[in-house]
Amino acid sequence: MVKFPKHKQTILHFALSFCILIFAFFITNTAHAAKLFFEPSTAELGISNEFEVTLLLDTENEEINALEGKVIFPGDLLELKEIRDGNSIINFWVERPIVGLNNQIIFSGIIPGGYLGQKGLIFSVIFQSKNEGKGIIEIYEAKAFFNDGKGTQAKTEISNLQFLISKDVSGFEFETLKDTEPPEDFKPQVARDSTVFDGRWFLVFATQDKGMGIDHYEILEESQRGSLQRLFQKEKWQVGESPYLLKDQKLKSYIYVKAIDKAGNERIATIPPHNPLKWYENYENWIMVIIGIITIFVIFLVLWVRNSKIKYQKSK
Amino acid sequence: MITTFLYSKKNITITIGFLILSLLPCLIYAALQEASIRVLVCGDGVCSSNENCSICPADCGICPPAGGGGAYVPPAPQTIVNFSGRAYPKSIVTLLKDAQITATTIAGSDANFQISLSGLSAGNYIFSVYSEDKNGNRSSLLTFPVSVTAGVTTNVIGIFIAPTIDVDKSEVKRGDNIAIFGQSVPAGEITIVVNSEEEFFVKTKADKDGIYLYNFDTSPLEMGEHFTKSKTAFGNEISSFSKAVSFIVGTKNVAKATPTKCPAKADLNNDCWVNLVDFSIAAYWYKRVNPPTAIDLNSDGKVDLVDFSIMAYYWTG
Repeated sequence: MVKFPKHKQTILHFALSFCILIFAFFITNTAHAAKLFFEPSTAELGISNEFEVTLLLDTENEEINALEGKVIFPGDLLELKEIRDGNSIINFWVERPIVGLNNQIIFSGIIPGGYLGQKGLIFSVIFQSKNEGKGIIEIYEAKAFFNDGKGTQAKTEISNLQFLISKDVSGFEFETLKDTEPPEDFKPQVARDSTVFDGRWFLVFATQDKGMGIDHYEILEESQRGSLQRLFQKEKWQVGESPYLLKDQKLKSYIYVKAIDKAGNERIATIPPHNPLKWYENYENWIMVIIGIITIFVIFLVLWVRNSKIKYQKSK
Repeated sequence: MITTFLYSKKNITITIGFLILSLLPCLIYAALQEASIRVLVCGDGVCSSNENCSICPADCGICPPAGGGGAYVPPAPQTIVNFSGRAYPKSIVTLLKDAQITATTIAGSDANFQISLSGLSAGNYIFSVYSEDKNGNRSSLLTFPVSVTAGVTTNVIGIFIAPTIDVDKSEVKRGDNIAIFGQSVPAGEITIVVNSEEEFFVKTKADKDGIYLYNFDTSPLEMGEHFTKSKTAFGNEISSFSKAVSFIVGTKNVAKATPTKCPAKADLNNDCWVNLVDFSIAAYWYKRVNPPTAIDLNSDGKVDLVDFSIMAYYWTG
């Protein structure tokens, strides 16, 4: 057995310990990154194939509460058919994923309280292959933030998707998602703040859809509730986003918010007026009063005619 | 040669010693890990130890009839999620579904609570819970994703809400004591961490009302700002860490102002809640020039995702 001099032994002990420390540091600190990746990670497609690409988040044992980024795809090879954010871990979108200029899908949103998991669905995209060729669907400018109350940015690792489109690859049937469930129940709120819309009343709303995702919201303000108005006037639903500036700043209207998902399913939430109309301001009440007066007049007239007839017959 | 060196008896002992020293950070790290929430699914075909025929006939089979005749007609399956866990004795527990308040309940005197939600659509949900202690101090938000299947009962058990925490001084004279207090489960073992250049760990026990108090001697702390947080162990369960509370070690004692129920940050409309209204106000100013200082939470002159991240931490629903 080789006997090392004492100073060499000490050096070796330190070297070994240093290696172990580095290893321990490595295994405890590689977890301080958020991974954004696609599923599938690679794809081989025929021409005119529809396929779904899902963007996922692995938080690596840390709580992440906000993330943003861009997904860029080659427009000469792929056609974007649809973006689905149903079932997303993102509770509130700051920028809902939509396709913008240069085949970019920009997204940003938050998860209040944070998310910790290995396969958190952010959104998915349905593409159709157009031409033969090789390409990459890339993630750019990805940022994730720790749930620490300071907005500390986490290291972000990304994994792009490589694909091949070839006429030699046999096509496959893309399974269409059947979504018959309406969006989740929700409670819009009327609010006012001096910093928003010059201190005027606005409406806030948000809900989730567990199927294909929310397509858009529509808002209706009606001062008179009931079907009578609908006989004379077609309902004017306005497409809008939260926060939505209310037209009726006196808050005398019923407010309806319709959430419509990408399959066309609807959920309507209603807010009664904060300051309901006084009875004499509601024309429906006047219609009822007029109908009542006419009814009484008609009854009175019928009775009067009948009495007159009886009197006439008696006088004969 | 190194192998020969390692195999000598004396050197094995020394190496093991160094190994233990080297792995100490790992052991501390492991000790700080939190107990996980368990999600049991009634309807997954597995009759687990927490299920039986009465609470989960789908997995454990139908209970035999107690007597009498007649055919048993099982009821139509419902989509239900049951939540159970520990908060603080007689505290209000709030449940958030996808970041919006969906139910509240009051915990028992043993700090246990149970909430049941029905009529949900099948899909992935992010549920969160928090509670308020006797002083109205809110706990941190405990968040967990749950996948809900149509016609199946999902039991989320082992929820352990982090203790509340506060201190009696905003500034403490170095060498004086600072009281660190809060509420958790009755007789829970509280671990308090004081973050300094060196971390200090102290332990205390909560009383029958779940209240704990520890007078921490600030002598070993450096001058400057420090943070403290706590977690609870009860039986085999460990809570997550509480929010971190700051204090300054300086040259004088300054009593801390009476705590309010309002979140420390991100309550943009000052209604003591951080919710969709605040999110919408921030969303209005997102990427706009010259945002008001109250909305620019990190004071960098713009409203961007950093501000939303801060808001998401202080969220109350």
